[in-house]
Amino acid sequence: MINITDKNISRKENITVEFFCDHIQKQFKLKLLNDKVGMDRLITDQNLHRPGLALAGFVDLFSFNRVQIFGNTEVRYLKQLSKSEREETLNRIFQFEIPCLIFTDSNKPPTEVISLANEHKIAIFGTNFSTTKISYLISDFLDDQFAERISIHGSFVDVYGVGMLFVGKSGIGKSEVALDLVERGHRLVADDVVIFTKKGEGILMGSGTDLVKHFMELRGVGIVDVRSMFGIRAIRFQKRLELIVEMEIWNDKASYTRTGLDYKSVNISDVELPYIKLPIVPGKNLTVISEVIALNYLLKHYGYDAAKELQQNLTKRINKKNKEVNRVIDYFEHDFE
Amino acid sequence: MIEREVKIINNAGLHTRPAATIVKLAAQYKSEFFIHKDGLNINGKSIIGVMTLAAEKGSTLKLTFDGPDEEEAANEIIAYFERGFDEL
Repeated sequence: MINITDKNISRKENITVEFFCDHIQKQFKLKLLNDKVGMDRLITDQNLHRPGLALAGFVDLFSFNRVQIFGNTEVRYLKQLSKSEREETLNRIFQFEIPCLIFTDSNKPPTEVISLANEHKIAIFGTNFSTTKISYLISDFLDDQFAERISIHGSFVDVYGVGMLFVGKSGIGKSEVALDLVERGHRLVADDVVIFTKKGEGILMGSGTDLVKHFMELRGVGIVDVRSMFGIRAIRFQKRLELIVEMEIWNDKASYTRTGLDYKSVNISDVELPYIKLPIVPGKNLTVISEVIALNYLLKHYGYDAAKELQQNLTKRINKKNKEVNRVIDYFEHDFE
Repeated sequence: MIEREVKIINNAGLHTRPAATIVKLAAQYKSEFFIHKDGLNINGKSIIGVMTLAAEKGSTLKLTFDGPDEEEAANEIIAYFERGFDEL
């Protein structure tokens, strides 16, 4: 059984404003509006904050450690203050260890905001997106950054669009199955070390590590790079985890599912995933079986369950008077093909 | 199960050659061998995994051995770490 302990789980405590800046500039086209200051400040909370009340003077419960969003309301409020009031207000909130500010909806920060933020070393970003839109985007980014990361030893392959994770003891042939699947046109996500991150509720996304990417070790051959060997069609960077397949040497005592009506499942970080134990015996083509598992999963996903279908047919037959076993075709007519 | 902490003491850190040696040593034993560092729990019998750690000089790794021959495995592998991968 797949064994997940605290050792497999890590979580970021904080990210620097510099890291945040690099990503949001690239991904959401935010622009830095003041000098490049305060890049070593830390973001320690994935939530965002609109500092309306703090601007108005109530700083008792000011969530200063969050990214501060200045929308239309905050900007309008600052603009209607006199210059000296504005400076006083800003000085009051800037004395807190604020990670950075984001001005939404193309709002231009008043000049005092820029000069005081430079002085207090707080970065200011600007965006054309509305407050709701950018809050959604940045929350999603921060949720992902602060989410639990689970590292699992296995091979992760996209088979017909189904994310299949192969687990099992070292040397059992996980990489070989992954390679065989790649050869048949499926795509490798990661081999050996796979990192899973929870996205939203009930979804685990997996990818490899930045160092190893799509390198793979084959016993007796050494290290190969799947991407340069098989090309871009053979890989992908991320995939949702949908199925776990454990490979093990055939064990007479273990019970393997025969009908598929009694699928086991495994719980990883509160996500319930189908879990299939696949015994290895001579003459068994694990690659083809893996494809069948993926296709069967897809059929079930689209509402067709072969095991249930046959069960229903059987029940119908049992309840029928004529229980005789017949051919599919009652009468072959004159078709001799 | 045996759990031990080891420190990387050679200058080059845990690079390809020692990684290959560790994996070879571990493969001789039936026991499961995991290396834990910064939230990564790596199977010590997989070279890609061990290299993923990119463990530099001075870093600490937690090793766990579990199985019928865990003691022998632990002794041999920990000794190899303590010798600085024979690079001192």
